[in-house]
Amino acid sequence: MMGVLSAKFRLFIRKPWMFLITSVICIVFALLIGEANKKEIRVPVYSDLSKKEVTDLFHSLQQSDLFTFEWMDEDDVHKLVSEGKVVAGVKLEKDDFRLIVSSKTANVYLIGQYVQKVYTKEMQTKKIIESATKNPNISVENVKDALHDAKTHPIFTLEKKRFRGEETVIIDGQLQSIFGFSLFFVIYTIAYNVLYILIEKREGIWNRMILSPIKKWEIYAGNLIYSFIMGYIQVALILVVFRFAIGIDFHGKLLTIFLLLIPYVFAIVALSIFITGIAKNVQQFNAILPLIAVSMAMIGGAYWPLEIVSSNVLLTLSKFVPVTYGMELLKRAVIYGDSFTDLLYPISILCFMGVVLAGLGINIMERRHVA
Amino acid sequence: MLEAVELTKQFKQHKAVNKASLFLERGEIVGLLGPNGAGKSTTIAMISTLIPPTSGDVRFNNESVIKHPHKLRNVLGVVPQEIALYSDLSAKENLQFFGKIYRLSGMELKTRIEEVLEIVGLTDRQNDLVKHFSGGMKRRLNIGVALLHEPKFIIMDEPTVGIDPQSRNYILETVKRLNEEKKMTVLYTSHYMEEVEFLCDRIYIMDQGHIIVSGTKEEIKNILSSEDTIQIKVERANESFIQALHQNPIISRVTVQDGLITILAPKEVNLLSTLFKLADETKTVLTSVEIKTPTLEDVFLHLTGRALRD
Ligand SMILES: Nc1ncnc2c1ncn2[C@@H]1O[C@H](COP(=O)(O)OP(=O)(O)OP(=O)(O)O)[C@@H](O)[C@H]1O
Ligand SMILES: [Mg+2]
Repeated sequence: MMGVLSAKFRLFIRKPWMFLITSVICIVFALLIGEANKKEIRVPVYSDLSKKEVTDLFHSLQQSDLFTFEWMDEDDVHKLVSEGKVVAGVKLEKDDFRLIVSSKTANVYLIGQYVQKVYTKEMQTKKIIESATKNPNISVENVKDALHDAKTHPIFTLEKKRFRGEETVIIDGQLQSIFGFSLFFVIYTIAYNVLYILIEKREGIWNRMILSPIKKWEIYAGNLIYSFIMGYIQVALILVVFRFAIGIDFHGKLLTIFLLLIPYVFAIVALSIFITGIAKNVQQFNAILPLIAVSMAMIGGAYWPLEIVSSNVLLTLSKFVPVTYGMELLKRAVIYGDSFTDLLYPISILCFMGVVLAGLGINIMERRHVA
Repeated sequence: MLEAVELTKQFKQHKAVNKASLFLERGEIVGLLGPNGAGKSTTIAMISTLIPPTSGDVRFNNESVIKHPHKLRNVLGVVPQEIALYSDLSAKENLQFFGKIYRLSGMELKTRIEEVLEIVGLTDRQNDLVKHFSGGMKRRLNIGVALLHEPKFIIMDEPTVGIDPQSRNYILETVKRLNEEKKMTVLYTSHYMEEVEFLCDRIYIMDQGHIIVSGTKEEIKNILSSEDTIQIKVERANESFIQALHQNPIISRVTVQDGLITILAPKEVNLLSTLFKLADETKTVLTSVEIKTPTLEDVFLHLTGRALRD
């Protein structure tokens, strides 16, 4: 096994470019997109209703971390949208709203979703106030105060649930994209290293090893440990660059991150063996890998935070994707400050996925490529 | 020493090897000859324990190797048909890697590497990356790797394909030397008759999964001893002449390749006069007529009706 490992590292030293280039691309992407996400998205708002009628609504809209709602004239809104200066404008109506858009993008969808949510809440509040004020002893102001209190002092037990809960969601655009892109790019680094098993089989090097006294598990272990190390070094390197060269604040959790990466990288190594197992040849692998990597990144919340996804289908799918748990681990540890014991659930899911996928992958490979 | 008994390998619908039997005695060089797709590599893979046969058995010193491959593997060197080397490592680094997986280390590994480099003539180029090697040098290193652990028995799968004549001669001489000096037993696969004629004591000829003939060179050529091979060149290709040859009852086989007409006919008959008569009748001008002693190539032609290579 040491022989296999040392040959791998020697080969790496001969050709480190792929590794370095993907690391740099990952850093650049995460920086650019993180920067873009940091800027809030402007959304102009107008209404035919009187300002008094929509004040509450407008206030609620402004609570968003992600969007900045600005009051404007109807003409200005249409102008901004048609010139592409903003992705969408909103027209507030009595019980409903309308989006003014020129093209459909992911952000338009998010804006629509957000406004919808605010409306629903506002309608509920209205209903509560209406029914409460049927009682002559209660004034409108009292009810409003009570509701406001309830919102600003959330019930204590909500705290621990907030990652999955509906309520206080913190979206840190920059950390989101740093974590997202690191976890996404490392899939490629790992998978292309695991792929060498297939390449060595094709080139006949594998057969040479099979005929030698070296044990088969040593060959697998050498390849997989190497892929693990390379993947791990890459994410760690990227995060170190962000922390010390770019000065991103991980809230003092860099060491925790390093620990939490272990189960994720392990799961991705296992997933790569699985993909290598089901691919008939290198071309097929090259076709399958981006498909799986990109859809996992989308479903698992590496491209955009899962907190803004409301489709139940997507959320259910996300439960089967290691990226989901990798993101969850990093975000909960860094952004929400969850402790290690709080994170045992996603950690064990990743380990479980790793063991199952690696077992399946090696089995398929043994059956498929040998006999 | 080694015996393959009715080896058969079925890939899905396709029978790549069909009841192939062969044996090797200690110290022999045995040739396995056949055209592309004959099933040579598949046979070798089964003999060297890389793939299990669908049916049949491989016996080494009278023990089946299918369940217990290690006794054979320990003394076996395999030179694969493809260049199975790390092209981004140097020749020496490749030898170090494969030496290590054969559990060699330290001084022992070092001297073995030096000896192997000497044998394959790459001592001067040991520090160059394999990807900068010529085809012939890669082939030589490919053989060298299989020699690291000093095997008693070596299987070579077309070790000379696609290389220049010098490298080819070097390799053939090397194989001969290994056999003579180190008493190595060799199973040598090729689709070049000349190589097999030069190297081998005994020969198996394979076609479409079957071993169609086996024996010493002389025995195999004797199959044709009752027949003459005649090669004819004509001034202009003439369909009616070929037709006439085909229709002539004495001629047992006619093939045309690159304007060269090859015919087989029994020795006793006076073929030449018949030939001239046919040429005359069809107004064909013969530019050369040559009676050849049969080659293995002709044997293959005789047995299958096809040339060994196209
Ligand atoms: N793994 C496989 N799956 C399916 N068919 C195969 C496999 N390996 C070989 N074959 C088929 O079996 C036949 C024999 O192949 P083999 O490689 O043994 O021939 P060969 O005599 O070595 O030919 P060559 O001179 O081209 O190397 C071919 O038709 C080939 O396509
Ligand atoms: Mg072959």
